[in-house]
Formats: sequence, C-alpha cells, structure tokens
Amino acid sequence: MGSRLDSALGVLNGLVGDHLERTGNGLATPMELVRDGAAIPLDSAGLSRALPEATARVALLVHGAMGSESVWRPRRGADPAQRLDYGQLLARDLGYTPLYLRYNSGRAIPDNGADLAATLDRLVGAYPVALEEIAVVAHSMGGLVTRSACQVALTEDHRWLRLVRRAVYLGTPHRGAPLERWGRVLATLLRRVDDPFTRLAADIGDLRSDGVKDLGDADLRHQDRARRRPTVGRRDLPHPIPLPPGIRHYLVAATLSDGQRLAATVGDVLVPVPSATDGLGWAPPPSHVRVFPGVGHFQLARDPGVYAQIKAWLEDTR
Amino acid sequence: MTSLTLRRWRGVKDLLEDAVEHGSRAVQRAHTETAGRPFAVLEAIPLVALPARGVHLVHDAIVTTVYGVLRLVNRAAGIAAGVALDLCEPGTDEGGRLPPLT
Repeated sequence: MGSRLDSALGVLNGLVGDHLERTGNGLATPMELVRDGAAIPLDSAGLSRALPEATARVALLVHGAMGSESVWRPRRGADPAQRLDYGQLLARDLGYTPLYLRYNSGRAIPDNGADLAATLDRLVGAYPVALEEIAVVAHSMGGLVTRSACQVALTEDHRWLRLVRRAVYLGTPHRGAPLERWGRVLATLLRRVDDPFTRLAADIGDLRSDGVKDLGDADLRHQDRARRRPTVGRRDLPHPIPLPPGIRHYLVAATLSDGQRLAATVGDVLVPVPSATDGLGWAPPPSHVRVFPGVGHFQLARDPGVYAQIKAWLEDTR
Repeated sequence: MTSLTLRRWRGVKDLLEDAVEHGSRAVQRAHTETAGRPFAVLEAIPLVALPARGVHLVHDAIVTTVYGVLRLVNRAAGIAAGVALDLCEPGTDEGGRLPPLT
C-alpha cells in the first residue's frame, strides 16, 4: 500500500471507521498482521512463506488512533540506518521477528481487542517455529487495544497471553484522554442550545467514531461505557481494569513542555503524562517509566531516543 | 485494476453517497426548523394565521422537494458510478480508466 494512501486510510478509519464497517464500505481496514505492507495469511503455509526468517521471539507493533503501520516509519534521513523502524531495529539488534498490526481504529476498542485476541490465537497456532515470547510495542490507542485483547484472553484462557512477557506502551492514555472528554462535553452543551444549526454542529461533533469516543475514559469493555459522564472533572475516573498480570509493563510518555504542571495537564497535547504513566493500581518502579520532554505524540513511534529505551527494556532478560 | 483497488473506489463512491444522503437530511432538518420559527409566530396571530399556514405548507413542500431531488440525483449518480466500476472488474482491462487507489 502506498504510504500516503495508507496514512490517509488510517485517518479516515479513525474518524468514521465504525460507520465504514457498519455499512460494509470497502475503505474499512480489516484487522491484519502485515509485513512490508502486505497482509500475512494466518495459516501455517502462509506464515512460513511470509516469514522465512521467523524466530522464536515476536515483536508485535500496534499503532494508535487514526494511524496505520506507517506511523512507525521514520522520517527519511541521509543515513540508511536511520530509516529503520522499531520493528526492523528490534530484528537487527535483538533477533525479534517484527509483526505490525493494522486495524480500523474507528471501531470500538473492545471490538478491536476481541479481534486482536483471536488474531494472536491463530498466529500462535500456526507460527512456523516454537514461539517463546511475544513482546508488544503499542502506540497510543494501540496500548488500550492490547489491554482489551489481554482481558479477552484472560477470560477465554488464550494461550498466547502466557507468551506475552513484556509490553511497552508509548503515549497510551491508560486513564483516558481528556481532549475526547472535552469534545463530549462540547457536543452535550451544543445540544442544549435551542437552535437547529447549533444542534447540527453538535451532530457533526458526534460523528466521532466509537474508537475515538472509547479513548475518553479508556473503555476496554463495552460495559465500561456506563461510567461515562457528560461533564469533565479535574480527576480521571477510576479505571475498572488493571494492567494484565504476568507481564512486565513499561510506560512511556511525551511532553511538549519541561514544566511539571504543563506536562501533567497537557502532556504531548493528546495524552497527559499521568494518564500515560499510570500503573492502574500497580506502582510501576521508576525503571519502568520514562518521560520524554520535547517529543510529540506521534514522534514517540519513531524517535531514536525512545527506541534506545525500548531496546534497553527488551534486552533486559532478568 | 485489482479487486482491492475496485473495492476502495466503491468505498469512496459509497462514502460520498452516504455523506450527501445524511448531510442533506441533517441540513434539511435544520432548515425546516429554522424556517418554522417565524411561521410559528405568524400562525399564532389570528389575522394572518390562515395565509401563514398556507405559505408554511408550500415552503415545506418546496424544501422537501429540493432536498429530495438532491438525494435522488445523488443515488442516480451512485448507481451510474457503480455500473462504471462493474465494467472495470478484473479481466475487463488494465487500461487505467481510474487512477490507481493502491
């Protein structure tokens, strides 16, 4: 898939992907594991053909809202080594087999989570060599989709969950994204104004996809939406789902500002630092948390400094 | 042209159709409600209530017709585009009737 088209479809799916799926539109992105832009068939023959160099350790890269696997692609630099994405670097440095998840980020997070759980179950069943580990590197909403998939795997006792030893979350709004909650409040306020065109504006605002709406309070299950409030409080709502057990979690946040107060409220504009670094009941040791000042939300997926930290975490076999 | 490319072109067509269909309904609703406000005031005045109600009905009929025709043309254009895309099904040509959406 062409890079620009790939990115455009990612944005379109993030905006109205739920509608695209409901109407059977051909622009809806199906969930797939991809390598070099091509979907990998999840059967033994297809996997063997697509992954001739398959190793016992898989690095699964999960993009975020309105993204696609192109989010991992670095900006073109003069040095060819700088053009490698995190997956290619993990293959080169640590011997992982990188697999990139592509999905419709406009669908509800629980729906994508359920599909990811099923996808990984099929992958583990058909993988060409004995699989020892799946390391997850997830950007933004991708972390919530991963956690939702883990929740499904816990409930349905999927064997792939036992292979997930480490998960790195890059700018994942574990406690939710206040920007989406403000959007929700704005739409509610507009709807209260007794004017047809203001209501029309509210309707347009409400076109936000299910996936984006789920980001507001980090809803991992359909029933979690019952927590939603039409107001915005200073504190995030308590989250009902802890980080999945048996996995080493690493939390990465970005801030555009060095100031602590701004970092806490604004973060990387889309996700505040406290939301990206919250262990949800588990107190992460300082070595499991890293905040990158001066880095944007999307840059988290292709920054050499961030990669160095991911590599350090994943090569630590203690 | 591959089936994936055609599927996407059909998706673009369907999305544009949906946007016009839903968009026109939403604007029509706002239009009718906005116009209904002065009519409601006039219809409350006994002296002009009857003619105002008549003008209101004619207005709403025209609005419904105009937006209805817009949606009808949209659907007709969608059907025509669908037929054109059917003609581009794999096996008919690689001649590039449409620029590649891959």
